[in-house]
Amino acid sequence: MPSWSFARASSRSGTASRPDPTAGAGAPAAFLSTRGSSVSSWLDYTINGLIVGNVYALVAVGLALIFGVSRLINFAQGSIYLVGAYIGWVAVVQLHTPLPLTIIVVAAAAAIVGLIIERFGLRPLQNSVRIAPLLATIGISFVLDQLVMLTFSPNPRALPSQLPDVRFQVGGGTIGPLDLLIAGVGLTSALLLFVFLRYSKLGWAVRAASQDRDAAMQMGVDVNRVNQAVFGIAAALGGVSGMLVGMYYNQIDTAMSLQATLKGVVAEVVGGAGNVPGAVIGSLLLGLVESYGVAVFGTSYRNLFAFLLLVVVLVLRPNGLFASARQAPPEPLTGTFIAPSRPVRIPRWALAVAAAIFAILPFFPVSFYVLQTLINAWLLGMLALSLTLVAGTMGQVSLGHAALLAIGAYTSALLSLTLNVPVGLAVIGGGLMSAALGTLLISPSFRLRGHYVSIATLAIGEIVSLVILNWESVTRGPIGISGIPPLSLFGYDLISPSSIYWFSFVVMAVLALLQGRLLTSHLGRSFRAIRDDDIAARAYGLSLNRYKSLAFIFGGFAAGVSGGIAAHLYSYINHETFNTQQSILALTVVILGGLGNVVGAIVGAVALVGLPEVFRIAAEYRILIYGIVLLLLVRFRPQGLLGTI
Amino acid sequence: MSNIDRRSLVKGSLAAMMAGAAFSRGAFAQSSEPILLGVSGPLTGPNAQYGTQWKQGFDLALDEIQAAGGINGRKLAYQFEDSQSDPRQSVAIAQKFVSNPAIVLELGDFSSPASMAASPIYQRAGLVQFGFTNSHPDFTKGGDFMWSTSVSQADEQPLLASYAVRRLGLKKLAVLHLNTDWGRTSRDYFVNAAKEYGAEIVVTEGYIAEERDFRSTLVRVRDANPDGLILISYYSDGALIARQARQVGLKQVICAASSVYSPKFLELGGEAVEDVHVGTRYFPEDPRPEVQKFISGFKKKYNGLEPDAFNAYAYDAMNMAAAVVRIGGTDRKAIREAFTKVKDVPSVIFGTATFDVATRRVKGAMNAELVVRKGQFALWDGKPT
Repeated sequence: MPSWSFARASSRSGTASRPDPTAGAGAPAAFLSTRGSSVSSWLDYTINGLIVGNVYALVAVGLALIFGVSRLINFAQGSIYLVGAYIGWVAVVQLHTPLPLTIIVVAAAAAIVGLIIERFGLRPLQNSVRIAPLLATIGISFVLDQLVMLTFSPNPRALPSQLPDVRFQVGGGTIGPLDLLIAGVGLTSALLLFVFLRYSKLGWAVRAASQDRDAAMQMGVDVNRVNQAVFGIAAALGGVSGMLVGMYYNQIDTAMSLQATLKGVVAEVVGGAGNVPGAVIGSLLLGLVESYGVAVFGTSYRNLFAFLLLVVVLVLRPNGLFASARQAPPEPLTGTFIAPSRPVRIPRWALAVAAAIFAILPFFPVSFYVLQTLINAWLLGMLALSLTLVAGTMGQVSLGHAALLAIGAYTSALLSLTLNVPVGLAVIGGGLMSAALGTLLISPSFRLRGHYVSIATLAIGEIVSLVILNWESVTRGPIGISGIPPLSLFGYDLISPSSIYWFSFVVMAVLALLQGRLLTSHLGRSFRAIRDDDIAARAYGLSLNRYKSLAFIFGGFAAGVSGGIAAHLYSYINHETFNTQQSILALTVVILGGLGNVVGAIVGAVALVGLPEVFRIAAEYRILIYGIVLLLLVRFRPQGLLGTI
Repeated sequence: MSNIDRRSLVKGSLAAMMAGAAFSRGAFAQSSEPILLGVSGPLTGPNAQYGTQWKQGFDLALDEIQAAGGINGRKLAYQFEDSQSDPRQSVAIAQKFVSNPAIVLELGDFSSPASMAASPIYQRAGLVQFGFTNSHPDFTKGGDFMWSTSVSQADEQPLLASYAVRRLGLKKLAVLHLNTDWGRTSRDYFVNAAKEYGAEIVVTEGYIAEERDFRSTLVRVRDANPDGLILISYYSDGALIARQARQVGLKQVICAASSVYSPKFLELGGEAVEDVHVGTRYFPEDPRPEVQKFISGFKKKYNGLEPDAFNAYAYDAMNMAAAVVRIGGTDRKAIREAFTKVKDVPSVIFGTATFDVATRRVKGAMNAELVVRKGQFALWDGKPT
């Protein structure tokens, strides 16, 4: 196991008490061969996988239910889970309710939250573009998470289990009554939902609505009532699961929401999106794969297996493992996912004036803080240009775009540090690597459509981050890369805020001009043709994979350059620098600006970098305000500020 | 390691006060405005809990500083900017602070990516970045304006290894660590020291911060057949591991790094953390006056709440900042120089803190060997568990 950091550290300081390079002897590979696990250990790994799969199932079932009806990945499901956990804490610790009452209280309160979300967050968007509700759920999850954090403080709390503390010996370990209760709740709810959907009248209505909304409405199904029922049930289940999982670990904190959503989405898609019993089996399978992954390769590889499982399932069986062959395609054939709208026309002279003002801004007495905020906006703008091309123009909504930043940043940092490549060239190298590697990684999912592309890219993003964490010989693992040289051009260091500002502004402007040119060209029209109707596009002789590759190559380059510049600006990066939140932020920018809209991407980047800074006076409340502003924007401009092109 | 010595302590604080008095005449213009420190740290986002703990520690220290007459009659205050531990925001905050002439010193950030991304800006502008939780070995290498009172892991981990191997007599160790820059560095120092003391490391497992489920990891640990588990964890994950270790039937001695030292560890871990050994920098019954003052003041200010390690780091950092400003005044360069001059500042973590000018860190953290008994941290009595 290479242990780069210490070799480097000791060469610098030469002190005697440094750890020796063999300190990392716990290398996974070594254990693979030397430490044969006994049969009983495998039994334990299996049991543990099923136990944790059990926990994932609770979230996945709720997600599956909502996806089944609304074709919506509900990113707020994890937040409802969080709300449920904290309501459970109030009930148990403050009100001392007995367990059955606690469950009823939590289910009822969470259901009310779900109904509010449906009524005020999502129903107003039902006739707007398909992507708007997705963004709304992201905004809602911000708001809910922040409300919980402000009410209960971010400190973790203990949520004591109300069940008797009896342990049953199973294999080498033990299980408790909570394990059984969680399994019971997961299986019973899946079974009840299955019966409900198959045999009750409202269940038929739910299924009818999920197959064809308009037809169901014509047949007299009250679709709104169906949606209400579904959100209520899913939220109640989400709340109860948050509480049970909190009791299981005797710990609740405000960071549990995003993780729950991520694992729930993986499990749900593995089982077949919208398939309730499939979600349970998908969850158990996910738990098992993780557990065996830990068994064979070690703990730090755990999530790598979860996301690899997801990508493999998506590529081989995009409808999930348990989809029947006759099932209708889960996504519409033509591009209603991203509905075209009339973009706001901005006259050329106005753009030129705006660009000129930003170009000469450092000559005016603006503070370095404003310049730095705009530098951040230009860097995010490059990422947004990349995403708006692949998501907006090409229709491949990526949720893993931060991975492209990371590839660009690591490539550029390592090129300049280890090979002494001049920084200007290294940044371009980062862009090229991001273009090449990003396109290669995404290519297996070219055959996917709509939401499945988002989920596949989410997984690929996580995989890239985990590879960076574990591939220590190249990336230096969790220690990260420090001492990255500052930006420089033709031998001149760019270290003053003004020079970095100009550099990033010019790079972004050039990329934006190129992309604007691209959109009006034959190539841009082909991209949009594929987005709007890929079957028709194919019938006209367009090779889908080739065009998708071209879009990702161009987009990957822009994102990689952005990451490269960021690496030299920060001087230190590690696997946490470019995280999932950045991917979600980038998507928010793109949807806010208007999908495919070049100017919109830049306006969106300025808005979303600027707003949290403007709200700084609100201290702890600023992310809450940001979430509310986001929701209002989605509500009143679902096609984005400047409209989809 | 320095031992508790009351005399040197009194001498140290006297020296600091005298130095302060001597400098005060020239350096301080008469002003009713408070002297302002900038703090960059997480108040929202996944690390928000640590930002709130900082605030508690800062506020207690500031109450004491103001009560003692402030900095030569002027109040000391801080401006806390929320970075969410996001490098993008910490660099903007850095520009904000460096361009605000009222700010004389910066504290934070929390995570290494956020802190070290902002370092070049502070270094170029000549504003001291005082990172009091930044244990990354390269943090103070960012430039001569980067100073840290974070306990160096090169210092702390051998203490923990000595506790586990020499005092508790453990011979075959399983090390579980957070797979972050802190956890990874700590693990390597620990493993090295433990080997030196004659123990064998049978397995090491790194886990990500969001991890909740450790059962399968613990089966790996069990199969490696250790006689002790070492947790290089924070309190929330440390409590989870201890609970699950008992659930999967591991009965080995557990020994944890000082970062689990928090009342939350006891609350979250419940019965499972009983008999867990913790190497810490201070403990409640510690007779040192600065510890007693800190603990009693903290409980009084926060309704009986027990302080934890992060509260102590922040409290110490604010006291150090006050000592530095007493010497350096309000000029940023003079404050940078003051870091090289400040001596023997009373500290909960170090007893008395003096910077090593070459590394810009403080050496010689105090050591206390605690064990959880009847749901409370207590000094280990030497009896086997």
